[in-house]
Amino acid sequence: MAKVQVLNVAVLDNPSPFGNPFQFEITFECMEDLPEDLEWKIIYVGSAESEEYDQVLDSVLVGPVPAGRHMFVFQADAPNTGLIPESDAVGVTVVLITCTYRGQEFIRIGYYVNNEYTEPELRENPPIKPNYTQLQRNILASNPRVTRFHINWEGCAERMEDCENVDPTSNSMLPPSCLPGKAPPLGILPDNSMDCL
Amino acid sequence: MKLLKPSWVSHNGKPIFSVDIHPDGTKFATGGQGEDSGKVMIWNMAPVLREEDEKNENIPKMLCQMDNHLACVNCVRWSNNGLYLASGGDDKLVMVWKRAAFIGPSTVFGSSSKLANVEQWRCVTILRNHTGDVMDVAWSPHDVWLASCSVDNTIVIWNARKFPEMVMCLRGHTGLVKGLTWDPVGKYIASQADDHSLRVWRTVDWQMEANITKPFSECGGTTHVLRLSWSPDGQYLVSAHAMNNSGPTAQIVERDGWKTNMDFVGHRKAVTVVKFNPKIFKKKQKNGSAPKPGCPYCCCAVGSKDRSLSVWLTSLKRPLVVIHDLFDKSIMDISWTLTGLGMLVCSMDGTVAYLDFSLDELGDPLNEEEKNSIHQNIYGKSLAITSTEAQLSTTIIENPEMLKYQQERQNTAQANFGPSSAGPESSTPKLNSVMNGESLEDIRKNLLKKQVETRTADGRRRITPLCIAQLDTGDFSPALFNSAPILPSGSSMSNQLTSQLSSDSSPGQASSLGLRPSHDPMLTSPPANSAVKGLEDNKDGVKSSLLLTSASKIEPMKALDSRFTERSKATQGVTAVISSISGLTPLDRPKDGLSALIDLMNKDDTSSDSEDKMANINKNLSFSKRKPELLLDGAEVVEKRKKGRPRKDKMAAPSTFTQITPAEREPSRVAAPPAPPAALKLPTPSIKKAFSLQVSMEPSMFLEVENEVSVVAGSKLSQLRCSRDGRDWNTLLPSSVVTAAGSSDVLAVACQDRMLSVFSSCGRRLLPAIQLATPVSALHCSAHFVMALTAGATLSVWDVQKQKALVKNESLLTILSGADTTVSQSLLTQQGVPVIGLSNGKSYCFSSSLETWTLIADKGDSLVQCADFRSCLPTHDAPVSSGPLAVMQGRNLNAGRLASRLSSTPHHLQQSMTLAFLENQLASALTLQSAQEYRYWLLIYARFLVNEGSEYRLRELCKELLGPVHKSAATAWEPTTLGLRKRELLREVLPVIVENLRFQRLFTEYQDQLELLRNK
Repeated sequence: MAKVQVLNVAVLDNPSPFGNPFQFEITFECMEDLPEDLEWKIIYVGSAESEEYDQVLDSVLVGPVPAGRHMFVFQADAPNTGLIPESDAVGVTVVLITCTYRGQEFIRIGYYVNNEYTEPELRENPPIKPNYTQLQRNILASNPRVTRFHINWEGCAERMEDCENVDPTSNSMLPPSCLPGKAPPLGILPDNSMDCL
Repeated sequence: MKLLKPSWVSHNGKPIFSVDIHPDGTKFATGGQGEDSGKVMIWNMAPVLREEDEKNENIPKMLCQMDNHLACVNCVRWSNNGLYLASGGDDKLVMVWKRAAFIGPSTVFGSSSKLANVEQWRCVTILRNHTGDVMDVAWSPHDVWLASCSVDNTIVIWNARKFPEMVMCLRGHTGLVKGLTWDPVGKYIASQADDHSLRVWRTVDWQMEANITKPFSECGGTTHVLRLSWSPDGQYLVSAHAMNNSGPTAQIVERDGWKTNMDFVGHRKAVTVVKFNPKIFKKKQKNGSAPKPGCPYCCCAVGSKDRSLSVWLTSLKRPLVVIHDLFDKSIMDISWTLTGLGMLVCSMDGTVAYLDFSLDELGDPLNEEEKNSIHQNIYGKSLAITSTEAQLSTTIIENPEMLKYQQERQNTAQANFGPSSAGPESSTPKLNSVMNGESLEDIRKNLLKKQVETRTADGRRRITPLCIAQLDTGDFSPALFNSAPILPSGSSMSNQLTSQLSSDSSPGQASSLGLRPSHDPMLTSPPANSAVKGLEDNKDGVKSSLLLTSASKIEPMKALDSRFTERSKATQGVTAVISSISGLTPLDRPKDGLSALIDLMNKDDTSSDSEDKMANINKNLSFSKRKPELLLDGAEVVEKRKKGRPRKDKMAAPSTFTQITPAEREPSRVAAPPAPPAALKLPTPSIKKAFSLQVSMEPSMFLEVENEVSVVAGSKLSQLRCSRDGRDWNTLLPSSVVTAAGSSDVLAVACQDRMLSVFSSCGRRLLPAIQLATPVSALHCSAHFVMALTAGATLSVWDVQKQKALVKNESLLTILSGADTTVSQSLLTQQGVPVIGLSNGKSYCFSSSLETWTLIADKGDSLVQCADFRSCLPTHDAPVSSGPLAVMQGRNLNAGRLASRLSSTPHHLQQSMTLAFLENQLASALTLQSAQEYRYWLLIYARFLVNEGSEYRLRELCKELLGPVHKSAATAWEPTTLGLRKRELLREVLPVIVENLRFQRLFTEYQDQLELLRNK
């Protein structure tokens, strides 16, 4: 069973101009003192077509985490517009908040994000080159999609008995320069996901 | 009978595998399949019971739901005290839940239902041992143990007082174990498995008592569960799926001989669950009719795969009621209310039915008192004795004194339960708010500004989360249920390192993954319309934009959907890199073997001979480790040396008997050389040139004997020197000293010329030399008593103070009857009672008042072997280990207790044996005049009488202790025994009596008389 339960995520500053930083207020509860930090990440999906355009907006360590209920605000800068395909800038995409413990992802919270122009005129005739200053970001805060993964809380991924929980793609030979990852998407099914739609 | 199907009790249509009603009847739990996980839900009972409550929107229906199980939950069971809920599931885990008093209701984040959890139930412990799906869990009577069974063919018994401690793993089944039930008396646990067998296990030694196979030989493993049940009177065990003449039945197994002569017939398909009503009933008295003495009977519900439910009374040949087509699928579980009139049934079809019976239909339920008396008649042991809480609810406490004792007892019990919980009010875990008067809203407003953010050594952001509430873990401390030790941050770093290394060293794996055909996200994503639907649900959101978008615009949505549930490769890669960096940097600091290791890693990440590398690294690691290890060893040596105490310290143990002084051990040592002269039955110590002995510690007293110091006028003189608290005295004796003994009051020396001299501690001669008939074999002093055991096997004891003989040349022939028996031990108690231990394990003392030898201990006694009074041992008093009785009986007592666990003696026999043993102990302690031991055994004896309900003996005991209330000349009652005031003893016994409410009249009676006497 997961030692960390996410109790709530409040989306702050929403809707907001595209260039504003993302702000999530995360409340979680921990069953017992964690010897290591939790790592939280915000990933902006640049294009639905490919993970190639995923941007890790920021990653923070959260700790120390004693047993109890905790809260923090995770703020991350807006995505680098240069990395977003122009055709995907406007419309619906996704922002993901993930949390890993000892290198294993145990929860993934996803929100639909709708980017649209506030000006009716721009909405009618969107420019070919997206005008990010005019774009408004609206996170569908009321409808988070939460997926929980079974991980080994006691040790590291490598020591887990059931290999299906081990991400086979963990590969430290990947040079840091290829951030965000250029790997092809793999159809790995989560062993435990809670689809709430 | 009323029947109701509360439609709101559902797991969103998913199967419900288990249902259990809370002992207090206010709520019930269901377990089953959730969305991609197991689900445990707790429901309010009131809306089931009353229609107006069901309609009242202010009364919550669902109290809590827990999605923590990773796979389907097969069983949920409340503990008998109602504090805990245990659940077992396909994830091989058993979770134990406890209610937490949290800030307020909360929802499961991200769950579709917006229903709040009204109650907070928190998983307090996870029990991991099973290697397969857990099918059933069961709490033992009084919640001593929790049992779980699994498809791994085993049953695990957990210590419910000390989770996650495992008591035993019962192996023997050769198929999936699918049901468990405890004997209501607590002597057995029964299990039923797919291996065509029902097994009964003893709780005494956890061995198999019976293996019943015949009724199950035709059974196929077609049912999901095999929930069997034991009748509340303990006489019958009813199995799930059994076959009789190729028809499905529920087999009745009799406790007496495990006979299988009867069964419940009629279901068309396999029986999945049997559940006895917790109540025993007797026939309802009809108005006007003469009361009939009718036999009490039990009631049993049987559920089957044929979707029907039958309810049987053991007094009727045909079922009381059969309900067909109650469900669309197999019945999975049944639970009765504690009142015995309500029943919940759940089914694979995801629905639950409630049945409400009337007293006219089932009969009059016996109250707890009557049920206990049935148990007592059959088993000689009442269940309610130890469960005061259950009894408290049914028995009226008539005396405020009694109530006080009861409450005190509960308080101490609670205080003992967990050292961390500081009183009765902390029995429920609390979430202590740590916000100092600041509202949560205020905090949230400024959280971003206020929260502490630092940078780690490698420049990463690290946020210290704001703790808004601490979990009071109550009686389960985290360290207790977390088997893995929490590593200090330093050592966890090395963990990370090794993990990193192993992933580094497998380039083969990585490349093979690279070759894997990339899956189209479309394949794994849900259909497009689900995405659309999901978005449409949200009216004010992106609906408008979606309506405008074309079909091609929806396409990416499918792809997006898949992103919610998949762990993407990109993020994982990032994680790995980051963790490797964070894992390595702190290691730069140590300059020895570890830096070399980092060089090694940096140099050739792509090197293929990874094993070689690993070996190198291991070498390095072990090298760097060695030094501190050596240091530790050194420290340990020093420790040990320190521990070696001077001799004086070793002897510092305060002793009440002279028996342990070295000189007195000598006789027994000398006893080893065989063949003493026929006339002399007992060996004598040899004469030594000089010897010394320590007489007592407090005051410190040493005795030194030097034989033949000087020759004066042809006679050899021996010197006796004594030092007491630094002051010396010495005296001369005309003959060589053979042996000496002393106490803080007197010293005795026996000489070669069979003379016994007695001196005071200051060296004054107290008695003229005593001429003995034969040489001395053993000599003891204790207080102002001197005991001499002569080689001619006679015993004498003198009271030096009164200058009187207590025992006069008493022959040991009576007790040295056997050919080979010799005296192996002898001692003199502080009260001047001589005790002789023989080589055949028997110990005698000579009672001067009875003028006879009395047996006080026998190591070969079968009563000792079988007496079981563990439950009566006082909790706070340390066992008396230094009394003469304990010395003579030695460790044998513990062995006896062990033996009683291994032998399977019937309860009534063991009860009698224990009683006899305890009475022996009391009598022995009395003869030995050992007051402390007498008091100790008296309290155990009283507790045993109370537990076993022996009223006559208890009453006689109290009467003896109280004595006559009105004094008259004729009464021969002594107010004290062994210097203990009997009425004080009674005052100690009374709180013991309180423990069984049955005796509250007795308690009141004697309490009042004691008060009366005190006021006189």
